[in-house]
Amino acid sequence: MLSLALGLALGLVPRAALASSTPVPSPLSSAGPQESAPQEDAEGEVLWIHAQRLIVRPGEELSNAALLVRDGRIIAVGSDVVAPEGAREITGEVACAGFIDPWSVFGLEPEAAGDERTNAATRSVDGIDPYLDPRLRQQLVEAGITAYRLQAGTRARLGGVGACVRPHPGLPPDEAVLLENCCVAASVGITRGERGQDVFDRLAELDRLLGALSDAQSYLQDQIEYRYELEEWQKAITAKEKELEEGFKKAQKDREKEQQEAKEKDKEFKEKKYKEDRRPKPPRYDAEKEVLARCVSGELPLVVEVHRVAELRGLLEGTQSFGRLRLVIAGATEALAVAEDLAERRIPVIVWPAPQGRLLLNGSARPLEYSEADPALASRLEEAGVEVLLGSGGAFPSGTRELPLLAALAVGYGLDREAALAALTTRPARVLDVADRIGSLERGKQADVLVLSGDPLATTTRVLYVVCAGDIVVERKE
Amino acid sequence: MTQALLWASLAALGASPLPLARGADTFAVHAAELWLGDGQRIEDGVLLVEGGRIKAAGRGVDVPLGTPRIEHDSVISAGLIAFDCAVGLDGETSEPKRSVLATGRLIDAFDASAEGVAAALSEGITTLVLTPAPTTLAGGRCAVVKTAHGTVLSAEGLLALSLSEEALDPNRYPTSPSGAMTELERLLGAGQGALPAAARVAVLIEAPTRDDVRRALGLAERHGLRGALSGSRRAGELAEAIAAAQLAVVVGPFASGVAQRELDSVVALGRARVPLAFALELPTRHPAGLRLSASLCLRAGLDPAAAWSALTSGAAAVAGVQTRVGRLERGLDADFVLWSGNPLDLSSRPVAVFVDGVRAHQRGE
Amino acid sequence: MILGLILSSLLAPVAVQELEGNSWSVWADRVYTAAGDLLEGAVIRVEEGKIAAVAPGGSAPAGALRAAAVTPGMVDLSVRLLSGWTGVEHAREVNAGMRASDAVELFDERWKAVARSGVTTALVNPPDFNVIGGLGLAVKTAGGPDGAARELAPERVVRGAMGAQPSTRNHPAFGRPEDLYSRRPTTRMGVEWEHRAAFYDAAASRADAQRAFPGSPELLRVLDGELPFMVQAWTTQDIRTAVFLKEEIEREGLGRPRFVIDAAAEAWREPQLLVRSGVAVVLPPFAPLGRTGEDAFMTIGSAKLLSDLGVPLALSAHGNTSAGNSLCRQAGWAMRGGLSFAAALAAVTITPARLIGVDERVGSLEVGKDADLVLWSGEPFEASSAVIGVLIDGRIVLDPRAGAEQAD
Repeated sequence: MLSLALGLALGLVPRAALASSTPVPSPLSSAGPQESAPQEDAEGEVLWIHAQRLIVRPGEELSNAALLVRDGRIIAVGSDVVAPEGAREITGEVACAGFIDPWSVFGLEPEAAGDERTNAATRSVDGIDPYLDPRLRQQLVEAGITAYRLQAGTRARLGGVGACVRPHPGLPPDEAVLLENCCVAASVGITRGERGQDVFDRLAELDRLLGALSDAQSYLQDQIEYRYELEEWQKAITAKEKELEEGFKKAQKDREKEQQEAKEKDKEFKEKKYKEDRRPKPPRYDAEKEVLARCVSGELPLVVEVHRVAELRGLLEGTQSFGRLRLVIAGATEALAVAEDLAERRIPVIVWPAPQGRLLLNGSARPLEYSEADPALASRLEEAGVEVLLGSGGAFPSGTRELPLLAALAVGYGLDREAALAALTTRPARVLDVADRIGSLERGKQADVLVLSGDPLATTTRVLYVVCAGDIVVERKE
Repeated sequence: MTQALLWASLAALGASPLPLARGADTFAVHAAELWLGDGQRIEDGVLLVEGGRIKAAGRGVDVPLGTPRIEHDSVISAGLIAFDCAVGLDGETSEPKRSVLATGRLIDAFDASAEGVAAALSEGITTLVLTPAPTTLAGGRCAVVKTAHGTVLSAEGLLALSLSEEALDPNRYPTSPSGAMTELERLLGAGQGALPAAARVAVLIEAPTRDDVRRALGLAERHGLRGALSGSRRAGELAEAIAAAQLAVVVGPFASGVAQRELDSVVALGRARVPLAFALELPTRHPAGLRLSASLCLRAGLDPAAAWSALTSGAAAVAGVQTRVGRLERGLDADFVLWSGNPLDLSSRPVAVFVDGVRAHQRGE
Repeated sequence: MILGLILSSLLAPVAVQELEGNSWSVWADRVYTAAGDLLEGAVIRVEEGKIAAVAPGGSAPAGALRAAAVTPGMVDLSVRLLSGWTGVEHAREVNAGMRASDAVELFDERWKAVARSGVTTALVNPPDFNVIGGLGLAVKTAGGPDGAARELAPERVVRGAMGAQPSTRNHPAFGRPEDLYSRRPTTRMGVEWEHRAAFYDAAASRADAQRAFPGSPELLRVLDGELPFMVQAWTTQDIRTAVFLKEEIEREGLGRPRFVIDAAAEAWREPQLLVRSGVAVVLPPFAPLGRTGEDAFMTIGSAKLLSDLGVPLALSAHGNTSAGNSLCRQAGWAMRGGLSFAAALAAVTITPARLIGVDERVGSLEVGKDADLVLWSGEPFEASSAVIGVLIDGRIVLDPRAGAEQAD
């Protein structure tokens, strides 16, 4: 009976189920979404995870339920899932999806993280140092973070292409990358180096960004036109060739006659030229424009760090004309003033919910990009209808470790508990285009599961087990 | 008559506006969970306040008829205590030209209406310990103040001594730790008079490195000092010696990105049963940093009872004001906080804060 | 042979102890006790941090502590790890009462390297920025919490310095705004004057208590011969000044002090002065071309010359722990200059211990003394030998057993 149910479940599992947004395969990278055939490896270990409270996704909870993991994927979820023989059994109070940090710099070489001279074509995944700080990596995983958006050049005008990676200590570097090209980052109006900037500089930066986007749009136009022209030219060539073939013999005779004439008259013989000889020229390749063109076409989201109202307004106005651009705002300290627009255009906002005095949370001096940081920002934006994500600010690598604590703090300042959990799981997964693989505990997704001793956001909760891509990476013996 | 009284008391139930004037008014607060302090938690507890002080706290408290009542569906606890604050002092925390200013009182520079004080109050912090900057060998007397009504709990609190490098100045005596220790030995020695007799006054010794802690322990042993050490990141490695010397340790503030070694040091101190308190460094840090420091220590393995004591009753004992604040007990000041959940959990917030029996902060105002 | 086997089986504790213990047996092919004898094929029994027995022993069981040679832990009288500006009090030039024990950084990471180079006892002095810097203390280079150094005995010497260094940063009162450093001495002459003034004033305070000043009790102890006065003097003229100071003190009847001259690089030039005045000498590290600190010149034969004349001699490494410069290499250099092995061993063990008065605890391998041992892979002080094991107070600081993980 059980094997029948299992067989049915296995047979019915579609490869890429429950995708809310399908990532477009990018011409830049060879690998698309990491879809590997379920390998029939020798182990084929089956994990059975049971919890009193199974949070499938925030707002959808099953009590006294379990999920079954095989080959790194969730193959069954429900209250009636029983452990098959030979399965490794794990139980806890609460189970939920692993946390995702959408604004992190962990794992990058230190110089890469602070590099201010990146451009749009820089790939963050090239700057990964997999051997950096193994202790912090372990602490990150123990805190419950199972994936994060890695971004180089967070203080640069154009940070380049970010990647979505796992901090899994055991995975080889090429398997740790979930999505190599996940988004493009930019920043407007933040402090660079030691100097602040005045309002004119900031708006000039904004203009430059919008200009870059429209250049990219024309580039995209040119490419599309070129492709069209190429097609047309191919057609014209074929038609002309056909035409010429018909009158070939006659044309050959004419040509010989002209050659003879030219020789007699001692003139130069010119070959007949056809206008179809001219092949349409492709637009000049520009790496930066290539990347930004993918933003403009909606393929990659554009994450812009911006804080002040003037730049926010300008950004929203300026990007209105780009119909397919997927904009994400990061920072957004003064975004309450434009909350309605953000809600209407369904632009997600990544908030760093850190309370700040005159010093930043880590003791360094606060940058000058905003005058007041309201710890209740996340909750106020959420109330206004904006989709809020919680990130660790991209300021220093260890900030990611404290993200669950900061999320709890945001809840204290009024953010809805479910929204906070969504801001750590389903929403970043969706925004970063990896929702088909992680973000919630659903059949077919990869198994990034946290097993806890209490509510995921409570300070006194202990993380008992962390399962990352089907492997148990943290096991607390208590 | 009794019926009128009954109606009056019924009307007074629920969210009745409380008298704003400090004074002899009596009211009772009913909590789903009352944290008396030192680990005692009472379900369905009642706190009876009279004249700004706690008249009774516990279960089955005899509340006189007609007393206004507040209902709270979650936890009520004593207000939090934060060390190492310089808020309201406008930066005037050190007199670097003199190496010894033992009789200087920090309270003389305090401005209770400063912005940071109200911010601290809204985070559930009802008591602040103001400390001088560690740039003077003997910086003066700390002050203990409340975050509302400008109440001063102690104008001459702990004597602040500094063994840190910052107290050394190459252009005035002492320029070295040897000179500093010799000077302190001379001042603390019997009969010198410049420093108050050590037996009467508790000290707060700033000792950033482990060698400074070692020197401080030597000083404490030779002169029978009591009090606390502050500013040390790795004091936990000398936990047994600190416990044997019966000194407390003020730890923190910890923020995002703190080194694991510092948190391990706090856990080691907790295990050795050294009394702890948390520093906050207002106004450079946000007042939410107090509970964040505690949360980081909890996550690293500190015993929750030790953490809670370090926020309330233990900290009050270190500051020398345990007869006034730190617990919900008869005779102590009515400084308490109505929380939205477990106060050790970061997702809880103060719903209301009472200082001296008067509601000083209400969430949403 | 059978008897030997039975004997060794009786002597050998079979259990493999953890790193934390302070009772061990150490087998060595040669044991140099620095107390006058050499033992071949011996075993040293350590119990509770003290040496319990040194006796002939058989072959070592597997996993035991063994070495080709064992010497006592070395004593360095000039380890100079306290060298920063804040190491000594600058408000006064004469601080005989201030203690280096208040300024020493026992948790300094460099102590671990010093301990592993074979130096088990060190004298920590205030840096020589002052005329009289203060009281030096003796420390064990390991044994404190977290592997830190540990105080052995406070107040072992009063430290002074001759030459140009003590007048650093002082300037004359005119021509510049006045600050803490507008004072004498600004020259060598002034430095010597400060020394003499300090001793004369201290002697005067014997009779008249009103003339006591901070530090005068310690200077009186120096004059009475109770505390040695360790004075740094690199160059010939500074060594002469130090010797003449001692002789003047004796001649004027102020007392009978014991002088130790530290970093006496040019002591080889006028050795008869040293013999006549009875001072002891600590040599600085040998330099490849002879040029040492303060432009003094030290010959490689200095140690032999002084030793032959009977001058009490100690060698020092100034805190160097690299393979070419550590204290064991200094002894090797001295031997290359002609010094005998016995004298070299004494110069890094029992003589410095005796000079600062800790010879009841350290300095030689005798029953009842602290178990500070250095285990060698070959003959001690040879360039081809390495220090493979160090025990301090019976605890393993460097583990000689193959494949052992060193405690961090």
